[in-house]
Amino acid sequence: MPMFVEDPANFSKSRLKSDLVAHNVKLPPAKSKKEVYVELHMQHIDQKKTVEFSSDEEVEEDEEDDMEGEDGENPGDAEMPDPSALTDDDLKAALLKHGVKAGPIVASTRFLYEKKLRKLLQSDGHHGQLNGAKNGMMYSDSEEEEEEENGEDNDAESSAEEENKETVEESDQADEESSQVKLCTQNGGFTYPQCFLPQMRRVQAGSQSVAANVYSSSSSSSSSSSQTFSITEMLKEMEGRRSLSTSANSERAFNGGNVQHHWSQSNRLDMPSVVNRTMKNQSLYYTPKAFPQEREMQEPVKDDFKHLFPAEITPSGIYATRRRPIKGAAGRPIQYMYPDTPVSPMTLQRRDVERRLVPVHIQILVFVTVTCLLYLIYVCVEDNTFSPIVSLLDNLNPGSNSGEALLHKTEAQDTPALSEWE
Amino acid sequence: MSSTSQKHKDFVAEPMGEKPVMALAGIGEVLGKRLAEKGFDKAYVVLGQFLVLKKDEELFRDWIKDTCGANVKQQGDCYGCLKEWCDAFL
Repeated sequence: MPMFVEDPANFSKSRLKSDLVAHNVKLPPAKSKKEVYVELHMQHIDQKKTVEFSSDEEVEEDEEDDMEGEDGENPGDAEMPDPSALTDDDLKAALLKHGVKAGPIVASTRFLYEKKLRKLLQSDGHHGQLNGAKNGMMYSDSEEEEEEENGEDNDAESSAEEENKETVEESDQADEESSQVKLCTQNGGFTYPQCFLPQMRRVQAGSQSVAANVYSSSSSSSSSSSQTFSITEMLKEMEGRRSLSTSANSERAFNGGNVQHHWSQSNRLDMPSVVNRTMKNQSLYYTPKAFPQEREMQEPVKDDFKHLFPAEITPSGIYATRRRPIKGAAGRPIQYMYPDTPVSPMTLQRRDVERRLVPVHIQILVFVTVTCLLYLIYVCVEDNTFSPIVSLLDNLNPGSNSGEALLHKTEAQDTPALSEWE
Repeated sequence: MSSTSQKHKDFVAEPMGEKPVMALAGIGEVLGKRLAEKGFDKAYVVLGQFLVLKKDEELFRDWIKDTCGANVKQQGDCYGCLKEWCDAFL
């Protein structure tokens, strides 16, 4: 089947446009019909291709000469023609030949499939160059494929210059498109510097937050500073923070004092007042140490900042500051170093004593009641008769005879009892 | 499995209807504008192209790269978004 179908009517409109542009033909108005494109195409481009047709007839006779010339050809044209020169159907067939089942080849998909075919041809061409000698033998054996491919090769040879021009032009087009893509990527690249802004803000906020991690106002100041990016303003903010730092220190002292009050109240329950005094003295010792320590920490740090900011200005505005040493590690005020040690053993002792005291009282009461009960029971058991209890009851009654008789009886009984006791 | 963005989830959750092309995952303002200039102003037009390319990943990635200059991640996001939408609604 003929590979070159020189019927531009089969080409799509975009294909015709690209061909015209490739041959430096002025395009008709945008919304003109396909026929106009076809006419222009036939006028300008077909003139060149008639040369190719003439060469077809001549070349079919000579086979072996063309085969030898294969190796010098462009790898892309070794087997197939330029994908752009194919019709839609041919392009589809060529893709199918390479094992690619292509979808509809429409205006929007045409370019993609051509690109795909080119890739496949290049890969085949690389293989074809390696096996050039073998292909020569193959061509001599096969019949129809031989002629067609020879025809193509001959066309490639005779119109080598023209096709080279076409490929060059098409590659120029490809370069234009790729350059457009490059522009797009460059435009995308130009967006990157914008991305630095939020990072810069973060850097600023990070440095400032590290500097002001102790202070509650850091968030508001960092947000305000992110908007403005000048060193002088940042220094002013640092100075402003100094004033805040002193107030924060005073607040801390008050908080410490409040905690101490709680301790003193708990101490009053059991421990002597001496303990309270010692506690307070210790706390008093702690607080003055805390202040100078903090001030010492602040001053060198702030000096470092001042040294850092003017020195490390980069053209892009991004800089890195030395991180302020973490205050929790070494610079923590002693006030908070020993919050529990003077208190914990005292509280524990108090708690133990309290635990012991309350149950002791209960135990004593219980013991007393139990002893009383036991004594009463013993008294009842010791006296075999209930006479003492009855006499106690009769004393209450004004009865005389029974009472006298009972009294006599009791006296008689008491005397032997007393004798027994003795 | 890479995690899907909120944009992807929102797009795949319902029929696209008349959503603009910027509703596609991976297509932001810049890329959406470029696509619109080429005529792909609605998401369903891009869907049309996706279907014409027979939902082939490589072809669709090449196409969207050539059309609006999307990078590899954006190509993948857009492809995944459309593919999942098709699996759900087509």
